[in-house]
Amino acid sequence: MKKFLAILVCKLGRFVGKLVGRGSSLPGQYALKICPDILRQITLPRYIIAVTGSNGKTSTVEMIAAILRAEGKNVVYNEEGSNQIEGVTTTVLTHSTFGGVMKADVLLIESDERYAAHSFQFFHPTHFVVTNLYRDQLTRNGHPEWVFDALKPAMFPETRLILNADDPLSASFALDRDNVRWFGLDRCSISTEEPSGVYRDGAYCPVCKSPMEYRYYHFNHIGSYHCPSCEFAKPVRVDYTATALDLETGVLTIDEDLTIHLAFRSIYNVYNILAAYAVCRECGVGAEQIGKVVNNYILKNGRMVRFLLGAHHGMLLTSKHENSIAYDTNLRYVRSTEDPCTVVIIVDAVSRKYYTSETSWLWDIDFGQLNSEHVQKVLLCGQYASDLAVRFSFTDVPQEKIELHPDITEACNSLKAGGAEDVYVLTCFSDRDKLLSQVEKEAV
Amino acid sequence: MDLRFLHFYPDLMSLYGSWGNVALLRRHLEDLGNTVTVEEIRPGEQVSFENADFIFMGAGTERSQKAALEDFSRFGKDIRDAADEGVAMLFCGTAMQLLGQSITDAAGTYFMGVRVGNFSCTQGKKRFVGDVYGHTDLYQSPIVGFMNSCTLISGVVTPLLTELYMGFGNEQERGSEGFRKNNVFASELTGPILVKNPPLMRKVIAAIYSRRGEALPEALPIYPMEEESFRVACQELKARIEAK
Repeated sequence: MKKFLAILVCKLGRFVGKLVGRGSSLPGQYALKICPDILRQITLPRYIIAVTGSNGKTSTVEMIAAILRAEGKNVVYNEEGSNQIEGVTTTVLTHSTFGGVMKADVLLIESDERYAAHSFQFFHPTHFVVTNLYRDQLTRNGHPEWVFDALKPAMFPETRLILNADDPLSASFALDRDNVRWFGLDRCSISTEEPSGVYRDGAYCPVCKSPMEYRYYHFNHIGSYHCPSCEFAKPVRVDYTATALDLETGVLTIDEDLTIHLAFRSIYNVYNILAAYAVCRECGVGAEQIGKVVNNYILKNGRMVRFLLGAHHGMLLTSKHENSIAYDTNLRYVRSTEDPCTVVIIVDAVSRKYYTSETSWLWDIDFGQLNSEHVQKVLLCGQYASDLAVRFSFTDVPQEKIELHPDITEACNSLKAGGAEDVYVLTCFSDRDKLLSQVEKEAV
Repeated sequence: MDLRFLHFYPDLMSLYGSWGNVALLRRHLEDLGNTVTVEEIRPGEQVSFENADFIFMGAGTERSQKAALEDFSRFGKDIRDAADEGVAMLFCGTAMQLLGQSITDAAGTYFMGVRVGNFSCTQGKKRFVGDVYGHTDLYQSPIVGFMNSCTLISGVVTPLLTELYMGFGNEQERGSEGFRKNNVFASELTGPILVKNPPLMRKVIAAIYSRRGEALPEALPIYPMEEESFRVACQELKARIEAK
């Protein structure tokens, strides 16, 4: 009876919530109050895929859904990003019969890293993808090893882990267990002998804290690592491998056979595709079928937006604040472009979900990448423009290229007033509408 | 002056942009006409404490902190002597805990500290996070920062922040925070605390000069962007306190 009531309340709550434009956590919250172990009582589909990690969760989940749907599978996922237990409950119950059977072939869950163990106490994923573990939102997450420890209890023995072979910390989930599949990138055109970035999270082994060595780096501390002390290393055999990558032409080759053209030529996109590819292959989808979907795939999650501002063609590269690798990756993208451009960086509200005035994370970002001839001007905007200015004073970006505009509207007006060079805007969800409300959007 | 900095474990203890402290302090001292040499020390490397003008260690994860402590323990006497002699030091985030009597980790394992201070640290499974706005007896202006810790620190008699109006201190919400002894400055507040607090930066510079027996120039250079960042942080946090 409680089960029926919980499902009913959740479905009704969701229906009303949609009408009034409320979020998707609340109905699940009510259902959990009525029947705390409701998730244990639901018959779930054969495939339960969870995706977590610091960066790339939403994009990876979106691609997994697109691939599996193209295979004719009925995929249910928490599209609105409510990725704690309440949101998961809403997703499951609203797609279940009143008898408690979920109407789907695949339940796909984007899961918050810190709450995965809590979310999965009543059912265990069949597949668990960890995209990576980086420095991300440290004001709420502490640090990557803290997140690792929080996530570890959610790594159930029967769950197949799909791990990033090139990220030392998340790869260490595979220690002392089996049932792991790997995705990774071979040495390729972007690989370097030296790490990039301001800090060296790969300098020491995540397992024994001895100095670690690298054969090559792809970016930051991502690459081929090995610890001479405890022998922890990038796995020799990677199940799903990007065997070639040319970001200039935007061509990715997986397992020497499948060629994929990248709609967005960023290393981020490559790892997200690899993660989606790996788990979909594990669910029985053929390589060619996956290729058809992800070839030139344009993400619909709006992280990248093209716009017009005066005579400028602009591109918004959404970069989570408090996430230095997200910024570094987008800065690297800007650096790889060739036409003259202006770069706008906006830090006005650090988060849209919680309050903080913490700006230490700016010191973890490799802003020096903007020291390139084609970057003609850098506009530092928002309430924390002066914090940005102090940070930029420790880069080689010439001071005469830097302009301060604490007022975002004023920054937009100054751009509108003249020039026609490309504009790249780096900012977070919390601040991007302050720009988007003043531009004319274009198709991606 | 020719000044000598010792920066311990720049990779291992590098969370939350800790390096900004060393970079900005160096710049300010160079702007005053000094020459600054920064020696980076990694685990296992030799170092002489003779003529050190400033010793720094940044924040690390709890596991990195134990690796740092394992190496740093061999310098215990050097650090205690340097502290007694008035050498300026800054230990940020989890590095502060190394200066105490002991650290007990979340599993109950006991680690001995280098015993500059008479405090002990107990780590747990809960993190105390949040902005901090407080007062130090060193100067009139407020002090701002961010607490990101899983450790309760007890036994500090001479805290760096004597009063908190917002945020977590050593042992409790709005309790005192950090540690100070002679010219040793230590705080669990993470990241570039000297960047965020120009008045504290001036105190550290004054400590370095005083240890050398040199007089500070009467007018120190003004850094408008740093002052503006400090003003914004103070204004934001103060408004937050008043709204509560």
